[in-house]
Amino acid sequence: MLEQNLVSEVLKVARAGGAEFADLFVEDKVTSQLHLLNGGVKDAGGGNDFGAGIRVLYGTKVVYAYTNDVSRDGLRTIAEAVARANGFGGEVDASGAGGLDFRVAAPRKIYTVTKHPLETKKLEKLALAKRASAAAKVGHVKTIDVRYFDWVQRVLIANSDGLWVEDERVYSRLAVNAIAEDGSHRSDGAFLPGAGMGMEFFDGDLPERAGAEAARIANAMLYAGFAPAGTIPVVIGNAFGGVIFHEACGHILETTAIEKKASVFADKIGQQIAHESLSAVDDGTIPGAWGSSNFDDEGMPTERTVLIEKGILKSYMVDKVGEMKTGYTRTGSGRRQDYTYAPASRMRNTFITEGPETPESLIKQVKYGLYAKTMGGGSVTPGTGDYNFTVNEGYIIRDGEIAEPVRGAALVGNGAKDLMNIVGVAGDLARGQGMCGSVSGSIPADVGQPHILISEITVGGRA
Amino acid sequence: MNQLSFSQAQAFVLEAARKLGAKVEVFSSRNSSTSIQAYAGEVSEFKMSKRAGLGLRALANGAWGYSYTENLSEEALTRCLQNALENASLVAPEGHAVLAAHPEPPHVGDLFGEGLSGVTVDRKVAVALELDRAARAADARVVSVPYMTYTDGESEVAIANTEGLARGYKSNYAVQYAMPLVAENGQNKMGFDWQFSREFESLDPTKTAINAVQKSVARLGAKMPTTGKYPVVIENLCMATLLGTYSDIFNAKMVQEGKSPLAGKLGQRIGSSLVHLVDDATRPAAMASRPFDAEGYPSQYLSVIEGGVLKTFLHNTETASKDGVKSTGHASRYSYRGTIGIDTSNFYLEAGKNSKEALLEEIGTGLLLTEVKGTHAGVNEITGEFSLQAEGFWVENGKVTHPLENFTVAGNFLEMLHEIESIGNDLEFSPMAGAGSPSVRVKVLAVGGA
Repeated sequence: MLEQNLVSEVLKVARAGGAEFADLFVEDKVTSQLHLLNGGVKDAGGGNDFGAGIRVLYGTKVVYAYTNDVSRDGLRTIAEAVARANGFGGEVDASGAGGLDFRVAAPRKIYTVTKHPLETKKLEKLALAKRASAAAKVGHVKTIDVRYFDWVQRVLIANSDGLWVEDERVYSRLAVNAIAEDGSHRSDGAFLPGAGMGMEFFDGDLPERAGAEAARIANAMLYAGFAPAGTIPVVIGNAFGGVIFHEACGHILETTAIEKKASVFADKIGQQIAHESLSAVDDGTIPGAWGSSNFDDEGMPTERTVLIEKGILKSYMVDKVGEMKTGYTRTGSGRRQDYTYAPASRMRNTFITEGPETPESLIKQVKYGLYAKTMGGGSVTPGTGDYNFTVNEGYIIRDGEIAEPVRGAALVGNGAKDLMNIVGVAGDLARGQGMCGSVSGSIPADVGQPHILISEITVGGRA
Repeated sequence: MNQLSFSQAQAFVLEAARKLGAKVEVFSSRNSSTSIQAYAGEVSEFKMSKRAGLGLRALANGAWGYSYTENLSEEALTRCLQNALENASLVAPEGHAVLAAHPEPPHVGDLFGEGLSGVTVDRKVAVALELDRAARAADARVVSVPYMTYTDGESEVAIANTEGLARGYKSNYAVQYAMPLVAENGQNKMGFDWQFSREFESLDPTKTAINAVQKSVARLGAKMPTTGKYPVVIENLCMATLLGTYSDIFNAKMVQEGKSPLAGKLGQRIGSSLVHLVDDATRPAAMASRPFDAEGYPSQYLSVIEGGVLKTFLHNTETASKDGVKSTGHASRYSYRGTIGIDTSNFYLEAGKNSKEALLEEIGTGLLLTEVKGTHAGVNEITGEFSLQAEGFWVENGKVTHPLENFTVAGNFLEMLHEIESIGNDLEFSPMAGAGSPSVRVKVLAVGGA
């Protein structure tokens, strides 16, 4: 994307104010999107994001500047700005090529795209979205939104240690929302499958399954009553149910929270922080997964990081600055939305691993409680560990049996306490796709789990 | 790839479109910003940015097609125009797409103030350091200030179309916030405070830091409430969050697409007679003021609910054409990268006469709700239902007794509008919520706790 001589020169200018380290992130991203309402195309768009960011480190102080003027002049302007950001008032040496001898990283391919979105006609993408829309027209569904997205992000990551990584990331996603109506009853359902794959992701009947799942949830909830309020046992479904671990635990195992001690799990490596039935992993190497990549956004090959093993805290998620500040080894977890953000330690594909139970055996253990079959998003306040996430599709459990449907409700708790309450884990591990928002922007991340049983948690219903 | 300037790029695209006989709208914007974080007495992150781009909307055979680019070379702009035209050919025409030279916009006061170019980096750094210092010095129970930022920015928006419209404006802002972590008896709590201004000189980091610490410390000693249904005073900024979250139910696009529960309710009573809801993009010195919307349509003061009666929805030109009304000037666009939608500007509930203390006395025993969290997931705009993590205080005999934790509030926004029984005089806007409100007293909400 850029000449090595130019990059070397820019990284030299960036360090002119005494910075020990500088890196450059250049991004050229082509996006495509379609929005269908009830099968008709409402919006068609897309475009080209193109820019670069330079980060320099003065000790552990981070200075970051970005621009979308990726010419020599534009890059030198931000390089000079970061060089002057630490009180340096002298002349920035404008001469020479910088003298960096880059080691070009060998391409790494954890997954091979077989049908590239940039080589596929919009009409073909439209046909996929229409199939999903048609499949959602079931039962009382009256309104169907289908959104199709793909994007191809080409990146160059180079640093003053001589690292040079070029890579391409391809993402594909369908998002189906269905609204069911019958008289004064209204309900909605959503399903948003995505992957770090090309259009081969949609092979087979994926569009039909996506439409059908959104419609199934909307129809199932149409006549549902209010969820209960209070502290009760809850069985949480697999796949996107893993949002509980993401919010309750994942964010506070990122070094951005650990390094400021703004985490209830700071200094707890080797200690038991969860029930012994719980093990969890953050894996950036799953081929084709939504949160996978060959290299992280600091140019380090991604890896599989065991976070918790049988309740014992094994590792945090660590980026370069996190490693400098905490001393824990980097895990290839430096991620960012795009060139407008400096990288930070972030989750990739994070999930609770399989346990010995089955969904049925977990439900059997509950006399009165909630079965949270499908989940929506959530959030956490890292410093306190207080978190919330939302049940989209719920059922009462009565005497070990699934009973009547109940509407959405928030589940709230505190990560440090509730991990001890995850007392049973089934074997039906699956993953679901989300966009995770935090300090370095909104990024694709998988959550996941098998069915789990929480012995008690606060449910925010109205009944 | 030789890059054109901001204005050259706009002119190039309009000229290229005219040559093709195409109708297009060019929305371009450029922003520069600085943000600084400090931690434990030192600057921990310093960020500077410049970003510019151009978004195109092409009208072909009655349908809109979009495309955008941050690459302002002639090649990229030409490709962008072709993509927009291709995208338009995919869209089902609905017969209401409008491209016009809209009336002249009003003057909305000074959005640019003294500007930020005269403010040195050192002075900005000093604000960040003071936020951190003052918060740590304010109370012995402050552990650290893990989340805080000083940030400022300048932006310029320009809109032009092939029908002859050409207008633009500049604006700036400076914002600071602090979110200290406080601890006592094994309990960790965080609260926050912030200040928004268009004038750097009016920022008071010491005050923001001390307020943030007071709000955090007030949460120490929290207990779980008992599950039940209680009368509630919703504090101003918390109510602003709920209003901002539900603003889409007033959005004509959502109504026309069958997603708003207010469809068919124009002219009907949808709230208590105390409720006056306004959207005013011309409000002086307000955060979301602007002379015109994302289509270049003039801004105005709009009364949305008057005495509990729904008077209008928020429109852009296309939804207005469908309903046979005039645009209300609420076309929105998430930068040049987004498509045209509808959004509020300064959206607020008008203040009443009572103090917050008077509202608390009115409920006697119940809850003071100060914050709700997770609104992106816990709110249903289709039904009006919500179930949210909350922060607040227990109220006994009209006085706050102790803070609450680990609980939820649940209700229905539409029912709540009817159950607003008293409105405070403390209207405040929240930058996070994109809305403003005074404190309100509502009849009852469901609380999930112990």
